[in-house]
Amino acid sequence: MDLSRFETDNSVSCRLVSEIPDVCRTEDCCLGIDEAGRGPVLGPMVYGICFCPVSKKQALKDSKVADSKTLTEAERENLFQKLDEARSYVGWALQVLSPNTISTSMLQRTKYNLNALSHDTAIGLVQYALDSGVQLKEVFVDTVGSAEKYEDKLSKLFPAIDVTVRPKADSLFPIVSAASICAKVARDRIVKGWNFAEDLGDVDTDYGSGYPNDPKTKAWLLKYLDPVFGYPQFVRFSWSTAQTLMDSKGVTVHWDDEDEDGEKAAQRQNNKSMLAYFSAGGNDQNPSRQTHRFFTERRLKSLDTL
Amino acid sequence: MSGNTSVTRVDVSSVAQAQRVPVHFLPCEIEHNGPAQVSEYLTTTTKDCKLEKTVSFRGRGLKGQELSCPQGYTGLVLKETNKPSSDHEDRTLRVSSVFDKLTYWNLETPPNSDDTVVMAMDWPELAEAIHGPVED
Repeated sequence: MDLSRFETDNSVSCRLVSEIPDVCRTEDCCLGIDEAGRGPVLGPMVYGICFCPVSKKQALKDSKVADSKTLTEAERENLFQKLDEARSYVGWALQVLSPNTISTSMLQRTKYNLNALSHDTAIGLVQYALDSGVQLKEVFVDTVGSAEKYEDKLSKLFPAIDVTVRPKADSLFPIVSAASICAKVARDRIVKGWNFAEDLGDVDTDYGSGYPNDPKTKAWLLKYLDPVFGYPQFVRFSWSTAQTLMDSKGVTVHWDDEDEDGEKAAQRQNNKSMLAYFSAGGNDQNPSRQTHRFFTERRLKSLDTL
Repeated sequence: MSGNTSVTRVDVSSVAQAQRVPVHFLPCEIEHNGPAQVSEYLTTTTKDCKLEKTVSFRGRGLKGQELSCPQGYTGLVLKETNKPSSDHEDRTLRVSSVFDKLTYWNLETPPNSDDTVVMAMDWPELAEAIHGPVED
């Protein structure tokens, strides 16, 4: 598995693929989809697909691929090795969603939530397999959100394919287990060898599992909090764990599209309250001189006080 | 404000020692006045493709562009070293750094000619036309 394409720029989303086995272009195939690293506050989320001819399902089962979560890291690496050895009939593709992609998507002006991002990523991978000439007949997916709705969505998009969406699909269907192994192996390797684009010197890589409730992860997040910038791009800013820490230990940042209490915002911007206009005395500073629109549109002010 | 007789002075001689620094104009308000690790976090992660720069700040995607100060003008960053204890005292500001261009960032959309800061750069030329000496 060559991760160098992602590692040269780990701020964007990147697709990594195996060779397409010739037999997958001629025989009916099944495909499994799973993801790794959905919950952690650190590192990328990796989506994986794995595919093989329907006739090879038993062979895959015999290789004892199982749900990646029940395996140790070494066992997963081992099984990935086996999948690699079976490259004459097993192919895979991964979409690595960098933590920066996750942050900027979820915090976009028009929010793009993780479920939508996940669905679109999975759909993109299936489309990639189809475009590469893989003769897809069956697709098995681990559920994200409601299994029924997701299955409906995928079936409509890919009417010629028999789609099965199931909770725990990774322990039910070997091809999904295989996809989950590819995704997990990639995520583990990426997190381990994360190359910080920021100039932070030697970064302590003892960040634990990356899950918000892991004490090591928590300690790491405390250690690497910058009051102004918050975190390096390795951290998912859209996670409440990161946001809470930045709110309490960092400086406050206001964006113009934020939901902010109207009165508070006005106060901060030094606006007058509506009531001021009704109060007696008309204490407008200089009612005779109104600034021309030219200047207000450019936020230009004549400077008489600092 | 009213009734304030104090004078604010800019120590112009400090321009000579002022360093030329990169300046970033961000589309948000940061409640912080002081040093920040700009080169460690922002400069190193900025991507420069063709005419557009991209970066993220606090997990939000920014698009930026270099903006020059109007011709004949220099940008100044002023710093008040000794804050007076009352508003009756005179104040002195020092030029802590100078710039002739800045990187202007927008949230998610590329900077364009309708943006406040971009438009503001029109003023000096217009001011010259209105207020400048009339040639016969």
